[in-house]
Amino acid sequence: MSTADISGGARLAAFAPVDSTARVDAVVRRLTDAIVLGLVADGEQLPSEAELAAQLGVSTVTLREALMALRQQGMVETRRGRGGGSFVRAPREAPQALDRLCAFTAEELRDLGDHYAAIAGAAARLAAQRALPEDIAPLRRTLQEMAASRDQAQLRRLHGRFHIEVAAASQSARLTQEEIRLQADIGPLLWSARGGDDGTSARHHAIAEAIHRGDDDHARLLAERHVLDAMEHLIELRLREP
Amino acid sequence: MSVECLGRMDQVSEHGALLAPGDAAEVAVAVGGIVEGVFEGLHQVRDAVVGLLGGAPVRGDLAALRPLLFPRLGGLISGIGFIAAPGLLTDAPWYLEWWQEGASGEPVQLLRDMDPSSSAFYDYTHWDWFAGPRSGAEHTLTGPYVDFLCSTEYSLTLSVPVLKGGEFVGVAAADVFVRRFEIAVSPLLRRVGGPAFLVNAHGRVVASTTARWLAGSVFRGAPGLLARPCRTLPLSLVAAQLPHAP
Repeated sequence: MSTADISGGARLAAFAPVDSTARVDAVVRRLTDAIVLGLVADGEQLPSEAELAAQLGVSTVTLREALMALRQQGMVETRRGRGGGSFVRAPREAPQALDRLCAFTAEELRDLGDHYAAIAGAAARLAAQRALPEDIAPLRRTLQEMAASRDQAQLRRLHGRFHIEVAAASQSARLTQEEIRLQADIGPLLWSARGGDDGTSARHHAIAEAIHRGDDDHARLLAERHVLDAMEHLIELRLREP
Repeated sequence: MSVECLGRMDQVSEHGALLAPGDAAEVAVAVGGIVEGVFEGLHQVRDAVVGLLGGAPVRGDLAALRPLLFPRLGGLISGIGFIAAPGLLTDAPWYLEWWQEGASGEPVQLLRDMDPSSSAFYDYTHWDWFAGPRSGAEHTLTGPYVDFLCSTEYSLTLSVPVLKGGEFVGVAAADVFVRRFEIAVSPLLRRVGGPAFLVNAHGRVVASTTARWLAGSVFRGAPGLLARPCRTLPLSLVAAQLPHAP
């Protein structure tokens, strides 16, 4: 297998230098996007560490840390010895992600994000007002299962379940139905937009805890921001495409 | 929630009419009767399951329940069936013989993705309607909750354990939409002078005659209000505690 030919369109953007403030997280996020959205193919060999670090405009130390994180997430596999190097291991269903993203214009994505943020925010606010301890239990169980899972497809499904459970805790059938519809529409895309940093996990925990505390304003704020941040990231990715 | 006996006190309704003492207690019993009617149906389903389970049961065996399930759909009940304990059936680790009312009232089987490798929703053992009976509760009333597994409706699920030879083999359950339950119990609740509402074992309001405590809200006790259990069910009627007679 030859070294990846990093050129053209989105691929070029994916490997463009990350800005000066960026560190390991930014590199992880950039490479995760490229992998999850199928910008680099499953099994493809990444350029050498020195080459890739130079392309991304980071030190090799930073790049190595990022690759280590990606290895832990199972997105990159490193083989030693002759013919060795770092190889992409795409999660299942990854190649469709970019196609799905490109089916939307940036304006449509912005509008979807606004709609979804309104639903997710309202659901989280009501959940905080109305949830009993036994409504929080499923949220925590889902977060525990997510923390224990390394399988990308399973993580994506659990992520969808978490948001549906938050909506159900609002006691509103209509908000839950809308959440399910939106999850089906853009759930996988939003999940792919989370980046590799897994601040996502901290954000989910923060939403669950705000609901548990009954802090309705904070729960709404967190849920809205969660959607809007992910959508902003998706829109950035979309704008790199023709 | 403390439960006290309603004693000898008279009750004055909103309209000033003097109602017979103990009306709230009677209403609690009457509501309990409606709910027990659903549980009686589940006991029949339970007995039928026990009767048909052989040595190495398969999904197809449970089809024999259908003549018993179908006539119970409609009215209060929107979904009914048997949920197998994981591993009970030799041809499917997870399985529900579950039937719901279709768009024009005909029974429709709920076919869910029960494959752990493709569904995040296959494991039903954590739901209260399963965990309650499994832990030995004779009558479990789950909800009101948004049932995103079956109907995406605001629902109650009533469930009972199914034991074969003393061993837990699954759950017989029925779904009741909250809106239908409200229609069924409202005439009874209105017989209580003043605000009256039903709460589940956790204090979640199921049906109500007052906007102050609507279905879905949580009742954590309030001065002057008294909770009375509906027979022996995990459901209570909350109504005004009467002032002591001078």
